[in-house]
Amino acid sequence: MTSSALTRPGQRDRVPVKFGEIDWTLSALICLIAAAGGLMLYSIAGGSWKPWAGSQMLLFGLCFLLMMALALINLRVWFALAYPVYGIALVLLVLVMVVGHSALGAARWLQIGHLKFQPSEVMKMGLVMALARFYHGLPADRARLSWWLLIPLAMIGAPVLLIAKQPDLGTAILLASTGLAMMMLAGLSWRLILGAVAAAAIAAPGLIWAILHGHLVKGYQAQRLLTFLHPEDDPSGAGYHILQAKIALGSGGFLGKGYGLGSQSQLDFLPEKQTDFIFATLAEEFGFVGCASVLLLYAAVIVICLRVASISHSHFGRLAAAGVTATFALYILINGAMVMGLAPVVGVPMPLLSKAGTVMTTVMIGFGLIQAVRVHRYEEVTSGSGAFM
Amino acid sequence: MSEPSIFFNEVNERQGVFHRRAFVMGALTSVGLLALGGRLAQLQLVEANRYKMLAASNQFNFRLVPPPRGRILDRNGVEIATNRPNFRLLLLKDEVQDPNVTLDLVSEVVPITPDKRRQIMRQLAETQRFVPVAVVDDLSWDEFARVNVRAAELPGLQPDMGEARVYPFGGAFAHVVGYVSRVSDSDIEKAGDNPDPLLLNPGFRIGKSGVEKALDLELRGKSGGQKVEVDAKGRVIREDPAGNIAPTPGKDVVLTLDSDIQNLALEKFGENSGAAVMMDCRTGDILCMLSAPSFDANAFVRGVVPSEYRALSEYDHKPLLDKSLAGLYHPGSTFKTMVSLAALESGVDPKRTYTCNGSFAFGNHVFHCDKHHGTLDMHGAIVTSCDVFFFQTALVVGPDKIAEVARRFGLGQTFDIGVSGQRVGIVPDIAWKQAYMSARHADPRWYAGETPSMGIGQGYTEVNPLQLCVMASRLANAKKALNPRLIHSIGGVEQPPGSAVEDLPFNPDHIQFVREAMASVANDARGTAFAAAQLGLGPIKMAGKTGTAQTHNYVAGSHGEHGAEGQWILRDNAWFIAFAPYDDPRYAVAVLVEHGGMGGLAAAPIAREIMRVALLKDPQVRARIEQPLPMPAMDPAAMSGDVAPPPPTDLPGAPRTGPTGQQLQNPLADPTT
Repeated sequence: MTSSALTRPGQRDRVPVKFGEIDWTLSALICLIAAAGGLMLYSIAGGSWKPWAGSQMLLFGLCFLLMMALALINLRVWFALAYPVYGIALVLLVLVMVVGHSALGAARWLQIGHLKFQPSEVMKMGLVMALARFYHGLPADRARLSWWLLIPLAMIGAPVLLIAKQPDLGTAILLASTGLAMMMLAGLSWRLILGAVAAAAIAAPGLIWAILHGHLVKGYQAQRLLTFLHPEDDPSGAGYHILQAKIALGSGGFLGKGYGLGSQSQLDFLPEKQTDFIFATLAEEFGFVGCASVLLLYAAVIVICLRVASISHSHFGRLAAAGVTATFALYILINGAMVMGLAPVVGVPMPLLSKAGTVMTTVMIGFGLIQAVRVHRYEEVTSGSGAFM
Repeated sequence: MSEPSIFFNEVNERQGVFHRRAFVMGALTSVGLLALGGRLAQLQLVEANRYKMLAASNQFNFRLVPPPRGRILDRNGVEIATNRPNFRLLLLKDEVQDPNVTLDLVSEVVPITPDKRRQIMRQLAETQRFVPVAVVDDLSWDEFARVNVRAAELPGLQPDMGEARVYPFGGAFAHVVGYVSRVSDSDIEKAGDNPDPLLLNPGFRIGKSGVEKALDLELRGKSGGQKVEVDAKGRVIREDPAGNIAPTPGKDVVLTLDSDIQNLALEKFGENSGAAVMMDCRTGDILCMLSAPSFDANAFVRGVVPSEYRALSEYDHKPLLDKSLAGLYHPGSTFKTMVSLAALESGVDPKRTYTCNGSFAFGNHVFHCDKHHGTLDMHGAIVTSCDVFFFQTALVVGPDKIAEVARRFGLGQTFDIGVSGQRVGIVPDIAWKQAYMSARHADPRWYAGETPSMGIGQGYTEVNPLQLCVMASRLANAKKALNPRLIHSIGGVEQPPGSAVEDLPFNPDHIQFVREAMASVANDARGTAFAAAQLGLGPIKMAGKTGTAQTHNYVAGSHGEHGAEGQWILRDNAWFIAFAPYDDPRYAVAVLVEHGGMGGLAAAPIAREIMRVALLKDPQVRARIEQPLPMPAMDPAAMSGDVAPPPPTDLPGAPRTGPTGQQLQNPLADPTT
């Protein structure tokens, strides 16, 4: 038993009590990472708050307050909102396919009045919450292996396909991976998992061949794969990002070139340096030491979040927290692989570091959910039997 | 108390499952992060140097620094081709906001014609980014300073100090030295697969003709590099002088030419068209190689205006042609020296006479001589240049022997003088005609009636002035088959001289006979060059041979039209070859005056003047020429025997060495000092 105030009767719903239960270590780590991002944006802009560092820090401040606020919202509310959020996100995705604001030939944004947002971001939260709710009501043996599993597959498949058609391959991969991770966390049969992995491994070469020969995905995405495999073939065109990122990264050495002295970024050799490739800038200026430190911070965040998930008494809470953590971890792994030349460039930013307003907001909302799971860890969410309840 | 830790409490099955699965997820994530960490280590620790180098090559560039071009000097070190600073204005396309406004501002200081403005705008549109476009060249220091003051308010305008080629003697050396001009596409093609980046640099000038072209690579040098730091767009951020690579200057080339002689030669030609070549007949050095009229090579460095070029190329005196190497003409009577030598070598008796009545009938053709010479032997025939004598002598000797001798004296040959453009001409013989005519499906047989014209240097025979000068110098030398040499040294390394050659394979007495006859041409009252060939240098005498070569067929009996009065293009070419001093030959010259008329009247005076200058520049010859001073009063006791006392040496202007080089002493000087 604990001595937390949450266990004393009548205390659980008092705001000051809840506020005290927010994980301050986690919050501190998040602030540290965001601060590192701000530092890099300041340096990349040539030593100035404009045009990136200032607005990013401001947004982070607002999102931090948002996280605090969301932490106080009862898990039951989250539970109740799960399917509605998912449903709205799905509708918005369909809408964006029909009327979406097309930038760079990709329909990803919706504009309502002054507000411009990406429905795929809403879906990231929506899918996690909906899957958590679904599995909350599903007994363990059904979660392991049964025909019921077609439902989560559909819940994952529909938005993934819609997003892939936008086309936003990076987000589609992210979402699909999150969904599958949640299915594994919920107890999917190991045999099924290993079987699927084996099947994918066998199909992969054929898949790659098909992509390279123009099937399955759009031309430029196939080109991305080709460029990834042979960046040297086109050093000034498509392979440029990859090569420049490797040069920036590698030339950082052990200690880096020093704050503000990253020649590749300062001299504009590294493109997307404030968004997708910000980690390369960090690597150039702070070297291996800097990179390893940031990766350790991220690892610490993930470990803490998994602990939070584990101590929750409700299945919904556990799965929701773990799902958000999975999304967070996938951002890091995919972007890291991209920047280091281990994966094709797919347009996934580094959470909290990159200048990416929408992603930051979503990530902080996710942390809000995790904090809420911690604050409400003793809460009994309506755990009816069967799905949809 | 602490929070519950992640132990596998099976409070309920789903929680247990979740704990295990969460652990797996954590483990997988850790593996992923470790993989990233490992990759980081590989790039940042293991391969760091490779990427540091790549980063540096992204970052640093070398701006080409053109090397200073080597100079071209004459044998005395006088500069014939050199460099001067060229103050100019460059426009940087991507930094200038409005080119028209900038050009307006510039034209307040330095005028820009509308033509030039159009050209600049076109160049701006065509050149790549970051390659500057030259706006104005050749600013004076004053203009340059004024523009520099205003340069701050004109973004994109860059004052620059480059180098421009300048030829102090614009005309006299235009053919032999040549000129430099802008690099053309065919120049780049000829440079092969890896052209020197200097060729692609705007404003770089490459040798286009003459020595400038032949020795272009040696004169060019190697470019250096100025180390600059650039950003991803190629913009220069700052310079790094510590990393600069100094350019290697081009090598200086010393020619054997003498600028005094060459300039005087051009002056003496005046408006006439022709060529003059002078060689040193002991070493084979070419002292003068001139083609007249000439043009200003400096105009070609700037870029000659089309109307200027048209005027030059359409002028019938052909100023652009290097007549000394590429002009082919019938040698006329100068060839009689070869015919005589061939006759002597064939055993013909020089005392044998022929009678000239002004014409010679052979077959059904009548050959004419320009005078009635009466009865002459070989010496007299050379001195008076009698055609009839040589018509008949040539028939006796035959074309093959004449051709053999002529070739030994340099006719029909090209020489390795280091520049291109020599035309080989024709020395005909029976085999030559056979080959030449068969290839053209014409009659290949040599007809006897063609021999007489060969005997007087007409017919198929064609030579260029350099070949005739070589012939004259070989006659002058009398022993060695001298080769001409134009390039004295490149970068201080001397080139092999022209005297290291084999002997002439002829009887020295025969050669001497011809030389004596040549001396009489100039110094005997009957000689065709007597009037014009007097040097006026005391004991120094010149020997020579005139030539008057027909260029067009005479209408019967109307010789007068091809003399000095007729239409220019129909007149005869005038030749004069000579060498001096006769008793100790030093210089040999060949002068051609195109359509000048009679050799003795047109070419000989020019040759005389050129020869005078050459001789007067020679200190040993001067010593012979200068008059000894009157003798001072003598002390009878100082007279010893029957040897005349030597001249005094302590008076101003008195020679110090005698003709044989011995030191002279002053008999009045105190013998004890």
